[in-house]
Amino acid sequence: MAKVQLNRATKRKHNIIGYLFLAPWLIGFLVFTAFPFFYTIYISFHSVTVTGLGIEYKFVDLINYINALFRDTYAWGTVTFPQTILELIMNLIIFVPTVTIISLILALLLNQNIKGRGILRTIYFLPVVILSGPVMSQFMNAGASNVEGVDHVFVYRIIWNYSPDLAEALDILFNNFSLVLWFTGIPIVLYINGLQKINRQLYEAAQIDGATSWQALWKITIPIIKPIALIVAIFTIVQIGTSPLNPTQWIIDTVMANRTTGQGKAAAYVWIYSLVMLGAIGLAVLLLRDRSKDEVFVDIRSKQDIRIARIIRRTKIKRLLNPKTFKQTFKELREEKKLKKQREKEALLGADKEEG
Amino acid sequence: MDVVINFFKNAYSKIHQIFNSQKLRRIKDFTRHRLIGFNLTDGIIYKLCVYIILISISYIYIYPFARMVSYSFMNLNDLLDPTIKWIPKNPTIDNFIVVLRVLKLPTFDLSHFTSFDAFGKWLGSWGQSSIWNSTWFSLVLALCQTLVSALTGYAFARYEFAFKKFWMTMMLLSFVIPISLLMIPRVMMFSRFQDITGIKVMGTVNPQIIISLFGQGIYSTVLIIIFTNFFKMIPPVLDEAAKIDGASTLQVFYHIIIKMSISTITVVLLFSFVWNWNETYITSLFLGSGMATLPRQLGMFDTLFGQNAGTGPGGEPVNMGETYRMAATFITIFPLLIIYAFAQRKFIEGIEQTGITGE
Repeated sequence: MAKVQLNRATKRKHNIIGYLFLAPWLIGFLVFTAFPFFYTIYISFHSVTVTGLGIEYKFVDLINYINALFRDTYAWGTVTFPQTILELIMNLIIFVPTVTIISLILALLLNQNIKGRGILRTIYFLPVVILSGPVMSQFMNAGASNVEGVDHVFVYRIIWNYSPDLAEALDILFNNFSLVLWFTGIPIVLYINGLQKINRQLYEAAQIDGATSWQALWKITIPIIKPIALIVAIFTIVQIGTSPLNPTQWIIDTVMANRTTGQGKAAAYVWIYSLVMLGAIGLAVLLLRDRSKDEVFVDIRSKQDIRIARIIRRTKIKRLLNPKTFKQTFKELREEKKLKKQREKEALLGADKEEG
Repeated sequence: MDVVINFFKNAYSKIHQIFNSQKLRRIKDFTRHRLIGFNLTDGIIYKLCVYIILISISYIYIYPFARMVSYSFMNLNDLLDPTIKWIPKNPTIDNFIVVLRVLKLPTFDLSHFTSFDAFGKWLGSWGQSSIWNSTWFSLVLALCQTLVSALTGYAFARYEFAFKKFWMTMMLLSFVIPISLLMIPRVMMFSRFQDITGIKVMGTVNPQIIISLFGQGIYSTVLIIIFTNFFKMIPPVLDEAAKIDGASTLQVFYHIIIKMSISTITVVLLFSFVWNWNETYITSLFLGSGMATLPRQLGMFDTLFGQNAGTGPGGEPVNMGETYRMAATFITIFPLLIIYAFAQRKFIEGIEQTGITGE
């Protein structure tokens, strides 16, 4: 939305009415999301006892975290929390890229001009509506989610001989292949929506210049579709967190079930898990963020300008840090600021005059 | 020699002529263009490949559901018989009758239809069933979520208030925070409230309704984004015209904005309903054993039938509870299947309307 110049009265009105409409969500956000977020940080460093009379906090340093990472075991000593965290990371590494890529491929195929597209789309979107945690685990238990017989394939044997880790990753992938596909429901729709917004003329221009469709895919489609890939990746990470693919959940649940003394401990567990998830999202943002915004200035001169400005900034910081030259630099900087302000004022006045 | 060479020369030129004749060339070009196309992407071969890939992948999508339907009508003999792959020899509905009891649904019996009273009682028993619980609970939560998301979306779409950008980023970030992180203090808050005031809150539906009413329900960020982007598309001139005619802000909101976005509201309601129906984690923490919902009853199956493993004829382990499980899954999914059958277009439109793919 374009920025509209508002006078003071309408500004005030916008503030009041805007916040009135926002109020329910805002209160909910502060009470049920922002407060819990910081509160769990607080209690994860405490031993918390909940009684009918009140809640007692005792500061225990990092003991909750140390217990979670090194001491506690579950399922009669066979499972530790770090193991499940590693499993979760493994699942994230395997599933997030595959879902992002496979759904892109499916979207590209579904975006072709073919008959029966609607029916196919309906089938591909079906899992989004139907699948809940219990339903998913029922299917997984019934073995209805795996592609059978992968370990008999010759190529798989070769890979296994070459690197067992990679083979194991492939094994997990194919054992849950339906699961991968079930996650692709919403991503496919997002991708198709993005694909249809790409200007057809771009492809025509590329064709006239002699580009094949393969080249057009890599040079036109994928750069434009990249921001959507980021949304898809984040969405997939969040979905995996709430699915049976998240092996840490049952440990967190068992710790949380102790309502009187377990809450501080549970907070530590949950924070370790959350850091992994947030880290994964951060990584996705780093890998898939839109870099085209940084490369707006392409000609050599503007690049040089940017570099010169960077060097000047650096020298200024160096001089500021040096106590001998600090005072003088500070003065210079202040004068520069004043000059800048003056120039802006003059520019504004000039603009007003032109309008008048 | 000459005769032989001439013969070959003639033959060669004849063949050359035939191959280069106008007709043949036209046929050749025609088939080539049909099969491969001018650009590879518009030929039959390419389309055939696309169809093969898409249909074979959709087979993997449908496979579990087909398996489910097939298993749920089998009896134990059919399940153990290796010759039966898909269609059971003697299909039964016994599985469903057993499963109805476990899922806390009214059992199906012919005696209910003998008299009017019995039928009335049978109808009444649906009121306590898990399917009824699930339905009204999800519907109430969905209505709360829709209302608050519409209000919030309107604020974000129309008003330029202070810190707007900040709250918008906060809204987007709240989607990313893992839900189990927030659940510890939420549960503590409500149980503390219960201790102080003596009003029973835990084990009832109230906590979730309150949380949804304050816009923190499941995936509410997505719903708010859908509303914000739709409201932005309604021209502000309409609001101004109504205001000049003397409408108050609430009147504008109700008579213009809400009435214009009925289709978006249905989309949001559908999504919210389905998500709340499928939600089990938050529900299990707040409701505990207070009220049975359908997906949670399905989750109980693991404890009931999980250990019922036997040995098949080939020596491989066979899970005897498989037929029951699949029947139960079928029943749990069934209401959603009906909704999807009627409103599948709305669902896909809804995701397209979010506009998070960039305008």
